[in-house]
Amino acid sequence: MTMVSIAILFLNVASAQDKSGDESCFHCHPAQVNEFQASIHFNKNSCADCHGGDINISGDVISINVMHTNFTGKPSPLQVTDFCAKCHPISTSAYKESIHWQKLKEGRPAASCTDCHGVHNIFSSKDHNSSTFTDNIPVTCAKCHANQTRMQALYYGISTDRFDTYKKSFHYKSYISGGKMLATCSDCHENHDTRVESDPKSSINPANLPATCGKKGCHEGANNVYLSGGKIHEEQSVYLLSFDAKRIVTYFYIIMILFELTFTFGLIFLGIASKFEIRRRN
Amino acid sequence: MAELVFKRFTLNQRIQHILFFASFILLAYTGFPLKFPESWWSSWMIASVGGFDNRTFIHHFSGMVMIGVSVYHVVYHILEKPRYDILFNLKDIEDFSQQMKYYLRYSDEHPKFGRYTWKQKVEYFGAGFGAVVMGFSGLLMWQPFEAMKYFPIGLIQIAGLFHTWEAVLASIAVFIGHFYDEHFDKFLNMSWMTGNIPEDELKHEHPLEYEEAMKNRPIGSSDILDPKHVEHKREKNVLIVGFARLVFTMIFLLICIWMIWMSYNVLAEAVRIYVM
Repeated sequence: MTMVSIAILFLNVASAQDKSGDESCFHCHPAQVNEFQASIHFNKNSCADCHGGDINISGDVISINVMHTNFTGKPSPLQVTDFCAKCHPISTSAYKESIHWQKLKEGRPAASCTDCHGVHNIFSSKDHNSSTFTDNIPVTCAKCHANQTRMQALYYGISTDRFDTYKKSFHYKSYISGGKMLATCSDCHENHDTRVESDPKSSINPANLPATCGKKGCHEGANNVYLSGGKIHEEQSVYLLSFDAKRIVTYFYIIMILFELTFTFGLIFLGIASKFEIRRRN
Repeated sequence: MAELVFKRFTLNQRIQHILFFASFILLAYTGFPLKFPESWWSSWMIASVGGFDNRTFIHHFSGMVMIGVSVYHVVYHILEKPRYDILFNLKDIEDFSQQMKYYLRYSDEHPKFGRYTWKQKVEYFGAGFGAVVMGFSGLLMWQPFEAMKYFPIGLIQIAGLFHTWEAVLASIAVFIGHFYDEHFDKFLNMSWMTGNIPEDELKHEHPLEYEEAMKNRPIGSSDILDPKHVEHKREKNVLIVGFARLVFTMIFLLICIWMIWMSYNVLAEAVRIYVM
């Protein structure tokens, strides 16, 4: 039994050595290294690029030396942004304009690179497995934005029903059924440069809505968005003499449908019953 | 003794009916998956028409057909010699109360209907109301950015609300009410295809019209045909008719269950949001 397990251990180590130079990390963190090996960063980066330390240790002895110099076990969100910026300066500088970064800088919890892109399992946004692939973006954003405990804990006053209200839109219905006409969170809110609505540079600032909705391939030529204003995530309504029109329509149709069902099935039942009566009489 | 066959619908009317119901079925089939986009049957229905974008195209195309037929129908009524027998009158209320009395065994006498029964009139004007509501709300939702030039976004959302509710209402009326009355109860009712109604059926279902037609029957009128073969055909094909009836019954029951399940879900959702 021990022989077998030792053999398996050696096999694992051997295969890990074949694939990468990260054999020292693999001994204790096989799950993380496996995830990393499947990601887009594998073969371009090593563990040390993000975690620091030195993987070029002598021999195959696992030692504390790995974790010397600038080693960080669990980088903080601020550190994450720093080391992503080494290779992704444009994305990071766009991100540093966002509300997420502003809040992080204030020392409050907010999304950093890894919250959206994943930690070890980062894929290209064109990859279907990626958390930043168009089809997966709503779920990625909803991870935090539909999480009531998380949103309440932050005291930002962000509603947690954004995913639910998005679900009522044609954008979502097309998205869930595999349609071409779709828009997910980042199409309107921007992916890195996410700002609050009140920010004049925000893509969802009323002044910028014509450009945001009128993107190429979307609602081209949309220049009247602000004029007939309204918020897409909110239940807009028209008030007739201070009565909510939506409520009136809904009540009207609830009553109509109940009435209709009662009448339709009632008449079918009475018709059938009267036929039996005729047969008995004759 | 030759059996008389009466003309009930002209070719023009039959084509209008066929276009209307064909577009209606397509609209319902491609529209309801949007109401419950996450359920298994809606993904199956969307796949059966070749994907979501095909679904959208079919829905828009059928919508245009339905609007076209509805507009044409109004024009048709204006241009044709006007007939007033489709309009409601006092006799419908009498007929209704008499039919209720008959059903509830307060009376042994079934009301004598004219060319259109009160139920058919309700269905006709219901379809008209539905076509107007669905047409206008559908157009608003089709081009929201054009619509937003003139209306606030709230009105477009209300149009959407009207569109889904009216769809459920109309589908119950057509798939349960109309199907039962006109195609299940009067099986095999071929007058929507041939335009003709046999003498016994006319006498049974529209006795007043029958009496009037016989009274005013001009000699050699083209309105009243006299083909003998219709009756023979009906007797010969009893097996085929029986089998067709069985198939139709099963489809009808399936649609009934689906409609009840769907209206339950729609009502439950609305009650959860608006009432509770």
